[in-house]
Amino acid sequence: MSIQRPDRPRSSRAHRAAAMAVALALLAAACGGGDDGDGSAGDASTGEAGESKELRVGFTQDQYVLEGADANLGAYPLNTNVVETLTYLTEDYQVRPRLAERWELIPPTTWRFHLRKDVTFHDGQPFNAEAVKVGIFDRVAQRRGGGTIRAGAESAVVVDEHTIDFTPTSPNLRVPEQLVHPQTAAIAPGSDFGTKPIGTGPFRFVEYLPKERIVVERNPDYWGEPAKLPRITFRFFPDANVRRLALDSGEIDFAYQVPPPDVAALEDRFTIAKSEVGAYEAMYLNSHGKPPYDLLADVRLRRAVAYAIDREKLIDGALFGHATADQTWVPPSSLGRHASAVEGFTVDRARAGSLLDEAGWAPGGDGIREKDGRRLKLTLVSGFPSAEVHRPIPSFLQSELKKVGIEVEIVERPDSASFQALIDSGEGDMFLEQGNQNDGNPAFLPVLLLYTGGTGASAPYQSLFAPGPTFDELIAPALTEPDIEKVREITAAALHEAIDEQVALVPLAGIYRIYGMKESVRNFVPHPSFLNVQWGAVEHR
Amino acid sequence: MTAYVLRRILLVVPTLLGVSLLAFALANLTPGDPAEALLRRTTDHPPTPEAVAETRRDLGLDRPLVVQYASWLGDAVTGDLGISYDTRRPVTAEILDRVPRTLELAGPAALAALVVALVLGVVSAVNRNRWPDHVLRVVSVAGASMPSFWLALLLIMLFSLKLSLLPVAGREAGARSLVLPVVTLALAPTAVLARFTRSAMLETLGDDYVRTARAKGVAGWRVVGRHALRNACIPLVTAFGTSLGHLVSGAVIVETIFLWPGVGKLAVDAILQRDYPMIQGFTLYAGVAFVAVNLVVDLSYGAFDPRVRLARSPAKT
Repeated sequence: MSIQRPDRPRSSRAHRAAAMAVALALLAAACGGGDDGDGSAGDASTGEAGESKELRVGFTQDQYVLEGADANLGAYPLNTNVVETLTYLTEDYQVRPRLAERWELIPPTTWRFHLRKDVTFHDGQPFNAEAVKVGIFDRVAQRRGGGTIRAGAESAVVVDEHTIDFTPTSPNLRVPEQLVHPQTAAIAPGSDFGTKPIGTGPFRFVEYLPKERIVVERNPDYWGEPAKLPRITFRFFPDANVRRLALDSGEIDFAYQVPPPDVAALEDRFTIAKSEVGAYEAMYLNSHGKPPYDLLADVRLRRAVAYAIDREKLIDGALFGHATADQTWVPPSSLGRHASAVEGFTVDRARAGSLLDEAGWAPGGDGIREKDGRRLKLTLVSGFPSAEVHRPIPSFLQSELKKVGIEVEIVERPDSASFQALIDSGEGDMFLEQGNQNDGNPAFLPVLLLYTGGTGASAPYQSLFAPGPTFDELIAPALTEPDIEKVREITAAALHEAIDEQVALVPLAGIYRIYGMKESVRNFVPHPSFLNVQWGAVEHR
Repeated sequence: MTAYVLRRILLVVPTLLGVSLLAFALANLTPGDPAEALLRRTTDHPPTPEAVAETRRDLGLDRPLVVQYASWLGDAVTGDLGISYDTRRPVTAEILDRVPRTLELAGPAALAALVVALVLGVVSAVNRNRWPDHVLRVVSVAGASMPSFWLALLLIMLFSLKLSLLPVAGREAGARSLVLPVVTLALAPTAVLARFTRSAMLETLGDDYVRTARAKGVAGWRVVGRHALRNACIPLVTAFGTSLGHLVSGAVIVETIFLWPGVGKLAVDAILQRDYPMIQGFTLYAGVAFVAVNLVVDLSYGAFDPRVRLARSPAKT
């Protein structure tokens, strides 16, 4: 076969030149000035003189659910104040009226809510008992298990235009405390919580671009004090470094969750607002494990772990001072004056050593204790909500426990799903979590994670960390006690048993919520639960 | 040519089957229950075992794995990639929403990488063992080694913070929003392609026909541009195809840092959420993207070397 090179047509040269010119033009367009949008270091639109201007807020990840019974656009986890709840949670974890003026328990388990009368939805529909039935209780009833409030299809009954009864499908005396959660907010009947939420809040929904932003504007017909801000644009910044840079560059005016290491660099130019304790860093101890994770079945070892940790050093070093050494696990303000019932542990390595000696663990050649040929080695699992959130705490704990002769192997899990898998399988001695309290029920976490007798129990946690029958006896009345103050007392006593006596868990720190904002942003009240942040009074001059 | 293209397209089917099966197996082997991950996302607390069991039933996760895969495959051949566990929207719609965003970055990044790499590679080859060559080789190694995360933050600090020229992140500033993510994305492929170009050019510049052209008095730039470069393009095009495939599949880090809602970020979120339908849907998309890019690359060889074109045609004598 002979190879013949075909003649190249002259036009191919012109085609190549044209293609190159187009390519260079595209490149120039990308690098040149384009449309001016909300560029860097620009201020937002200004209202009339003396009025607030638009606020640009940087939040974390967009986790809105847009379809189905769990739809929650504009409400959770980023609460844009478009929708409101019947009750709300104050910064010190007290529950106060909002869309419900008052409520009472009609024994044995029915809650009667008396609704506010001067409220309309953003689309003009009246806010009344029928709207609450449809927009809250019937909607929540479609969620799995009826949600935390345990709503059923027949749970809500309209008494009159502004009175409604709610009877959970199983006894639940914490309904008012749970109704603070934005997932139980009132939406207008017929509206879609996944595409265009229509609520009663001080702001109205404007637009939503998934993973990019959600925009709300002032509701001029709000039943309460009108909002000061004309408009808020919430942008999603999953990466904390980029969120901080956006604040620094002026691209946003306000940032949620400023990382503790960044506070020092920002506080001379920005306002840093810290809330009361709203989140906790805690280590759950596996006291019911199977070999090789059975070492912490001995309460003396659990006590030794608790005594070995210098919490002040942890707070100063790993958390940059932006936490407290509270060891109540739940926010202390949710326990009120009963928080002092939980004593906790202060670092005492001598005492830790004595406990380990008493338990038969003698120091080995390399300082790690041994007993009957077995090394005192514990596995620390870090991963809720992700391993990244906890760093460098695991390394700190490893170093602290080594000082008393305990070797720690750190196992990191990148996300909550893989962390949960290890809890399910029981493969670990100590499990590090960072969680938060978002409703007004102080007994919520102890019952959910530690109580073995309740119907709502989460069994994997109980099977590893249950503090025992005394704890169950102490916490059980919290499920049937209508008086919230009494519930605080009961919970505090149960936590004393779980933390001080049984050492089922070792609270490490109570963590502040840290918000960063330009100095032109005023009247922001930092809430320990960022689900309950309120924007109505905030100004941006 | 048509027969060749059809053959290549048909070969896509077993490739995608294999890739989807592998993705399904790996997703199911990853620790973590999708039902728990889903429930955790809508509540603040660990779900009850009863809720997890009910959710698993609703999602069809209680069926045998073989049945799950077969069911998904049966729907996939009709274009139905299932419903995302996470967003509850059709996977196909989610991916199609995101692909244009990824292409907004991938297109300019690929083009920029190619143009710059050509220039750098040619300059480096022509100035072999002189200072431009040394400098460009160091630069290309640095570019290939630099983590994109670090580069992105550096660029933001310089151009957004210090100079206030460009936005930190997002798409709201129009074309200006493209600059930093495109530059970040383009750096690594530029470095790799520049090295390929240099190597290919050095090889062709040593060939007899190039020496002949020089001996006949052809101007230097014409020797490089018309004679050598075209023949050096074939390995370059192959490398470019691989880079383009990666770009089109989505750049996770860049999309995360610059808040670009592309398909790469979608994939990582799906993995973290154990969103099996989305993982498999993305895998199919990435497979199709790579196959399509490779097909285009293969077909383009003929534009550079007519011998390839003739080899694919029926024999002509």
